[in-house]
This record gives sequence, structure tokens and C-alpha cells, in this order.
Amino acid sequence: MNIHEYQAKKILSKYGISIPKGKIAYTPNEAKKVATSVSLRGPWMLKAQIQSGARAHGYFLEAKAGKKGGVRQIKSRRDIIKNAEQMLGSTLVTPQTGEKGKYVSRIYVEAFTKVKKVFYTGMVIDRMSATLTLLLVETAESDINEVVLHHPERILKIPLGLEKSISAEKIREALEFLNLTSRSARSLKRLINGMQKTFLECDASMIEINPVGVMRNGQLVALDAKISFDENALYRHKDIALLQDDCETDERELQAAKYKFTYCEFEGNIGCIVNGDGLAMAVMDELEDKGYAAACYLNVKGGVDKDKIASGIKIIMTNPKVEGILINILGGFLRCNLIAEGIIAAASEVGLNVPLVVRFEGTNRDEAKEILKHSKLPVIITDSMTEAADAVIQAIEESD
Amino acid sequence: MSILVNKNTRVVCQGITGTQATFHIKRSLDYGTHVVSGVTPDKGGEMHLGVPVFNTVQEAVKETAANASVMFVPAPAVKSAMKEAIEAELDLIVCITAGVPLKDMLEIKAMLKGSKTKLIGPNTPGIITPSEARLGIFPENIHHKGKIGIVSRSSTLTYEAVIETNRANNLGQSTVIGLGDDMMIGIDFIDVIEDFQKDEETKAIVLLGRLGGTFEEDAAEYYKQQNYKKPIIAYVAGDALPFGHKMGYAGDVITQGPISAQDKKDAFAKAGITVVNSINEIHQELLKIFPNS
Repeated sequence: MNIHEYQAKKILSKYGISIPKGKIAYTPNEAKKVATSVSLRGPWMLKAQIQSGARAHGYFLEAKAGKKGGVRQIKSRRDIIKNAEQMLGSTLVTPQTGEKGKYVSRIYVEAFTKVKKVFYTGMVIDRMSATLTLLLVETAESDINEVVLHHPERILKIPLGLEKSISAEKIREALEFLNLTSRSARSLKRLINGMQKTFLECDASMIEINPVGVMRNGQLVALDAKISFDENALYRHKDIALLQDDCETDERELQAAKYKFTYCEFEGNIGCIVNGDGLAMAVMDELEDKGYAAACYLNVKGGVDKDKIASGIKIIMTNPKVEGILINILGGFLRCNLIAEGIIAAASEVGLNVPLVVRFEGTNRDEAKEILKHSKLPVIITDSMTEAADAVIQAIEESD
Repeated sequence: MSILVNKNTRVVCQGITGTQATFHIKRSLDYGTHVVSGVTPDKGGEMHLGVPVFNTVQEAVKETAANASVMFVPAPAVKSAMKEAIEAELDLIVCITAGVPLKDMLEIKAMLKGSKTKLIGPNTPGIITPSEARLGIFPENIHHKGKIGIVSRSSTLTYEAVIETNRANNLGQSTVIGLGDDMMIGIDFIDVIEDFQKDEETKAIVLLGRLGGTFEEDAAEYYKQQNYKKPIIAYVAGDALPFGHKMGYAGDVITQGPISAQDKKDAFAKAGITVVNSINEIHQELLKIFPNS
């Protein structure tokens, strides 16, 4: 689960990390009002709060929003109102949001902070060594994936244990890598310890402070911040769970999440229903091999509730991009007959307008096949993944 | 012969009184698995499915000489359940539970280091040695005793591989292991390949990899260095996934770099492992190795 920049900064500052003074605003008037309390004379930063990187490099879809991006430096109080009016209620498109962009419902008004250099820092888990790992890049990067792809050598990885404080030796290594003087040592230690504490106490899955600004006196300040939380641990952080902004998530994805299923969209035209991530990948690989792609997949995992399964299937049946449905279930925990009953329930409610191919194996397979045979639905029953993929492709081609 | 579990394995089920545990332990007992006891805090002294229930793993070990645990406890309780099982010095824990928090898993991995306990999972269908022991949720009806060892990093795809070994003139399985679908897991491909290599019953290995982590690359490197090699047929899921897709974990891209499913297949091929592009091609490759079976 992700949160907004201003929320992430608030959490990080509680753990001792310096942030510029800032306040959130939902209207232009509010923006003007909070600006004075943030900084008397400015300049200020106005930052659109959508969950995406590279907001400064983005553009607004609406003409009224002007040509500037989603992060603006403002010098006069009058311009605060003008720019807030432009940004609020507009749609910001960044390299990460896709063409649709994201609606800006609030902006963060922050005191402009003068810095002499910036760098990237992140904290993630290295799964192979099961270690919390600190990542540093000497410059700020709008997209860390670009660095990973083209300049992996520019990333310094420092393994951190579960101990409370980073060692002096590791601090020296980081300072040297970032070309910082010893004046920044204490501030860097506070930053890293603060990130680690946030990560462990709040059950984060990833923290990025990008950029960290280095001020003239050597002090470090978090100029932007992103925290992702481990969804499996949200049960012990009710306060953090409340920060989830439903507007940020695709409606179908949100619906699926309500039933504890996962749902993802892609560029193709076949809707897939599976139980298991690996199975989802295998089905999509199979389609790709044959020149086709998935429109979306729904992973019903080990679902045991018939009504939830029917609701999940409806999400796929009502997706307009779906021209054919492929259901591949290997029952273990999950019983195949529940899927068959779910298909019938969903089809009777929303109608079945596209070819549907199923493949069942494992727990209660034969029962599931019988149920579908007696349903009078035009379902094609197959015996292997390859057969199922061939059948759905053939059915789509025939209906064209 | 088989690996990790057999008919002599004495199983304690942690969380035995829960609904899913009850459903699956009953099936495991019917299958002939030697389930000797269960653990559910505060339910010690009761009988469930015909086996005694204890409050702690330590008691269960003392009274019933259990040496392996199959764990069905709810995710928030996994960490303390693991601690108990590790401190009781069990040989093996099979953790079926999905949704264990990352931080708990960091601590569990630290506890396992230096202990004698091996962990399979979490978020795994478990391990099955056909006709001997079923620790987990495998649909037992598709399994037949035989000569192929299967190890998989993707729960449901494991069943697909089992079916493939049946399609190949019923070669059957020696032992089938799901390593777990989570970001951090206990034992990995290398541990299992090592055991399969030593196991007389296992004549060939089917390995199912997937995007995320470098488990496949590490296994390829290990295999390359072995003198005596049983044949391995491998499949890797995730070719069609876009780069950086969340199914592979965001942090992975940064810590391991841009690894594609194809990179993993290449690593396998270079190590002398047969790679199939569709999981349904596995039986054909098996028939090439065992034409007269």
C-alpha cells in the first residue's frame, strides 16, 4: 500500500528525519492561508499530491492548468492562489501514471529549501540474503529503474541488520560514496537510523527519499519521500491503513482486493482467471507464445467463499476489453466446484457475451465439470493449459 | 527412499484445530501420513482427529517424539509458532500459511540461521512423498510413487508438473516440494537439488522457477559445478510480464537488477539444464530421457 508524499514526510519526521516546513491544502484559499505559516516571504513549493514519481516532469491534461508540471516553485503570494487554482481539480500525467493521468485533489505547500547538492536514498529488503538494505545514488533520479537498467554500478548497497543503529564504519563508507564531508556525518546517521526505524516499526516494504538535499551547513533534509507498506502487516497498524487513498487504485483492482483476490490489467484481449501468481504468469506466457496477450488476470488464490468467487468472475466478465475468458484452476486448497458454481452465478447476473474456456484439475475436478455440463452455458471444457489457450484463441478468432 | 519426509516422519500439526488444518490433516491421516500430535494453545489435553493436542511444541515433542511440523496457524501467529518449533529442534517445518509479514520473516530467517531446523515455505502447498507422507495441501489423487523429483517456486504450477510426470508413461514422483510463493522462503532450489542428487529413487528432477529473486541463477551455478548430475528439466514463469511489474516485488528490481525470465532460462541452459517454454512440454522431455519406461 502506498501513501502520499506529505503523509510519508510526516511519518519520517516523527522518526527524526528533517523535512521542510509544509502543510496540505484542498482549496486555493487554504493554500494561500497555509503558505504564510509555512514561510513568511517564500519562495514556496506547490506539489500536486498524486502517488507517482516524476511529478515535476509531468503535464496537466486541462488547458486551464497551464504548461508547468506538478511541482512548482512560487515566488509571490498572489501566484500561490493562481497556481493552486490551476493544479487543484486537474489531471496530472507523468511517465508513471499512463495517459489517463491522476486527479489532483490536494496540494502540499512547502517552504522552498536551498540546497547545494542532492542524492537518492532507498531502503528495501534484499530477499536472497533476507537483509534490510540501504541504497544510495550520488545524484537524484526521477526514476530509479533507469539507473538500475543503465548504470547499476552507480548504486551503493549497504546491508543493515536488525540492530538499532548503523555502525560508524558504514556511515564513513556512505559519506565517501556520496562525496559528503564529515559535517554531514551526524545528519546522515540520523537519516539512515530514522529510515530503518520507520521501516521496522511501521512494517514498510520500501522507503525512498529522493532527493535528499544537502544544505550549506551540511545538514540533510528530505525533499521528497515515498513509503510503501507491507499489506500483510496492516492489521497491526490501523492508523496507517486509514491513509489508503482509494482514488489512487483502479476500480476493478479495488473491488478484487475487497474479496482478497489480486487483479491486474495488461494490453491484450483475453481475461484470465487462475489460482496462483505463478499460474497467472504461466498462462500469460502460454498466450504470448501463441501471439496473444492477457487483458487482465484475476487470482482467486485459495478462495473458499462461493459468493466472493462469483463477484470476482463478474469483474472479468464486465471488462469491455475482454473478448474471451480463460479459466485455469488447479485445485488444492481451492475446490474446483466452487469456481464452476461461481461462473454460473456470475453469468446469470451479468450475462456471458464472450467465449469462455475452462480447465480444471485437482480437488473436485469432475464435480466441477459436471456442474458446467448441466448449466447449458456455452462453456468449452479442456484438459490442459495449452489446450485451453488454443481453444480460447480459436473461439476469439471465429467470433471476429 | 525419498527426500526430507517418508513414512517414518513423525508429524505434529501446529494449529490443528482450525478449519483448514482439520480438513487437510484428516486427508493426510487417510493418506497414511504419520501425524502423531497437534498443537493449539489452550487446547492441550483434548483429542482431535484421533491425535492428542498439546499447548506447546515442546510438550508434543516430549510426549509423541514428533520431528516435523506442518503449520496452519494464522499469519499473525506464525512468528511465535516458528520460534517454538525451532527451539524444540524439529528437523523440518512446513509452513502452509500465506501472508506472513515481511518483518516477521526477517526475524524468522535470523532465527533459522545456526539452528538444525529446515523450513519449507511459507505460503507453500507443502511436501509430499507419494504413498508415504503428505505434509500440506496437495491434491493427493494426482500423485503416484515414482522416479521424478519435483521442486517448484510456484504453488499451483506444482500440480501442473505432477500431471506432466503422469502423462510421461506414469513415471510418477519420488518427492514433490513447493518452496513457497513468498518473497522470503526457507530452503531453496540448491538445498533440494543436493538432496535429490543423493536420493537413489530420484532419477530426474523437474524444476519450476519464476520471476523474482536469483534462486534460478544460483541453482544453475551450483548445478554447473557438480560432477555427478541427474538430468533436470526446468520451466520459468514470467516471460510475458512487463519489466518492474509488482508481481516480482518492487525492491527486487533495485537489489537484483533487471532480470527477465529469459535470463533465468539462459542461465539454466548454460548449466546443462533442459529448458521448456511451455509447462505442457515437460512430459515430452521426460519421455526423451526415459524412452523405455
